[in-house]
Amino acid sequence: MLYGVRDVACDMLGMTRHLSCLRRDEFWAINDASFEVKRGECVGLIGPNGAGKSTLLKLINGVTLPDQGSLRIFGRIGALLELGAGFHPMLTGRENIHLSGAILGLGKYEIAKKFDSIVDFSGLEEFIDTPVKQYSSGMYVRLGFAVAVSIDPDILIIDESMAVGDAAFRKRCLDQINAFIQAGKTIIVVTHNLQEIEKIAQRMLLLDHGIVRADGRPAEVIASYMNLLNTRILLREEFGSATGEPAIEITQMELRGGDGAPKSYFRSHDELRVIIGFKAHRSIVNPVFRVQIFRSDGLFCHGMNTERHGVECGEILGDGKIILRYPDLCLLGGDYWIRAAVLSSQYDELPIHQMATSIGIHVESEMIDGAGVFAMPCEWITAA
Amino acid sequence: MDEIAQLRRAAIAPEIEPRRRPMDVVYTPRGVQRDGVGGWQIMFRELTESSRLIWLLMLRDISVRYRQSILGYIWAVVPQIATVAVFAFLHSSQVLPIGGTKIPYIAYSLWGISMWQLFAGCLTNCANSLTSSGSLVTKINFPREALVIGALGQPAFDFVVRLIPVVAVFIWCGVVPSWQSMFMPLLLVPIVLLALGLGFVLSIANLVIRDTANALGIALTIGMFLTPVLYPPPVRWPFYLINLLNPLSPLLGASQDLVAGGFLTQPEMFAAACIFSMGLFFGGWHAFRITILRVLGYA
Repeated sequence: MLYGVRDVACDMLGMTRHLSCLRRDEFWAINDASFEVKRGECVGLIGPNGAGKSTLLKLINGVTLPDQGSLRIFGRIGALLELGAGFHPMLTGRENIHLSGAILGLGKYEIAKKFDSIVDFSGLEEFIDTPVKQYSSGMYVRLGFAVAVSIDPDILIIDESMAVGDAAFRKRCLDQINAFIQAGKTIIVVTHNLQEIEKIAQRMLLLDHGIVRADGRPAEVIASYMNLLNTRILLREEFGSATGEPAIEITQMELRGGDGAPKSYFRSHDELRVIIGFKAHRSIVNPVFRVQIFRSDGLFCHGMNTERHGVECGEILGDGKIILRYPDLCLLGGDYWIRAAVLSSQYDELPIHQMATSIGIHVESEMIDGAGVFAMPCEWITAA
Repeated sequence: MDEIAQLRRAAIAPEIEPRRRPMDVVYTPRGVQRDGVGGWQIMFRELTESSRLIWLLMLRDISVRYRQSILGYIWAVVPQIATVAVFAFLHSSQVLPIGGTKIPYIAYSLWGISMWQLFAGCLTNCANSLTSSGSLVTKINFPREALVIGALGQPAFDFVVRLIPVVAVFIWCGVVPSWQSMFMPLLLVPIVLLALGLGFVLSIANLVIRDTANALGIALTIGMFLTPVLYPPPVRWPFYLINLLNPLSPLLGASQDLVAGGFLTQPEMFAAACIFSMGLFFGGWHAFRITILRVLGYA
């Protein structure tokens, strides 16, 4: 608190603080997170809890000032950080729309003009003259969302607010977001719902400890996020075990096509080879290698290990390589990521080591392959 | 509005003029830079832009305050009448040696306490304005001084309600206010500005250290007795200091002068107090603007 008083005093006197060192218990919530978002881009922001996502949104929204660096923003910002933040519980829905609209910067006539569409969007016609304290939490959020999107922002920032509300309302929110994208507006979404974000975002950012760890196509970023989570879990497990350094570790992982050339874009029914390079620090007998394929939204599509196939690896020491070949990759179009692990047995919950960099792959398929997850061979038989 | 938005969008499109595109907002460690306009100009522009919001916040507070209440607005006048009843009794029974007043004591003290409660109510409400609005302050970017200024609405409204018993008592006592009393609203301005200036500072302080609100309650109770609300302004040393050091005292005294005599007994003190409250208002406002973004973490 003393620091705060000192900071405020410095501000009043127009002095700048020396930022070379942090005080005790201070940390950089966001550090070295430089990126640019263009107009009409929809960016998904993901990362583990406490990665600095919400802080970043607060900076963009201007409710927190940076201690270093700067942000440049072109256009009107609409922030859905907390829906219904300006609502007063004793006021009715109608009164709250007017008040909340004024807080968000809408003029009298703008609110009057948009009032009907706000009510319509929230779907709360019957309850518009009821005090909002009697609303259910879903209704509250619906009204909040309706007011927040009504300001027609150039830049919309959303913080996990779509997680509430029923399925119908979520769909309406997604439609609204899509309409915003169509209209060339910029959207930045923070979410833990990878399936949802993958549908709307063209680009994703992975934030961890305030640093942008990955920036690019959703599938790739989700893959590195999964990786990060895996390493996290792994690190914790290793920390808990007495053994310390793992006996064996995966040093390399690569995807290749049927011709043996490295490849990350596949078509359904192509050949896929997963090459796993490993290094055994100690002599190890019959480890089990496992490969798992996940769809970008987290759906576990396929898993295989050496023990299931009855492959005995024998005694291993030093560097080595093992390949899993899928002669017919029957996944349908979409983004997937592949994870490799070494286990001491098939039923071992805890892998000895997992590949530190899971790999994202992109699959494309034809109409004829059908819809869903797998391109399963099938045919129609018409009754004579 | 759409047209303006379109124009604005066209104006900032990088392909039209890549080097000299106007920057809407830049956030830096030094604060917020908007379109390169000077500080006070932005403050006044934002204040006028948020005037409707301030008005709505005032209406909200007034309409919410007495909802779900049977006696409603009667609660606005109860504390005032109770205090005056006690002091009128003490005065008439000669328990407290209160000096003579130009108008009957009951009218004098009722008027004084109404003015005092306007000041105290404004100050308390302003000090609590940021803490009581919860996540609104931290999650939405808008001129927050609107919250502090909007907090004036409810005490101002209560003051108007409290004028009803004041008028009734004046009629009952047969006091006819001087014609100069019509300038009374002008006198309220420095009192409210004084409360607002202090309120700006205290609202920030309360956000950081929550003891502020509690301490303020005690300070106001003591302050009421250090201000010539229930007794005429003392003229003897050392009690005269109350008049000299308390900026509220000449303002209050001036209002009492207006009602009773029609001319100011301490014009130079009154002028000094007016300048002081103006200064405090602008100083407090400026300090509020600078510090608000720093202290939001405590909200």
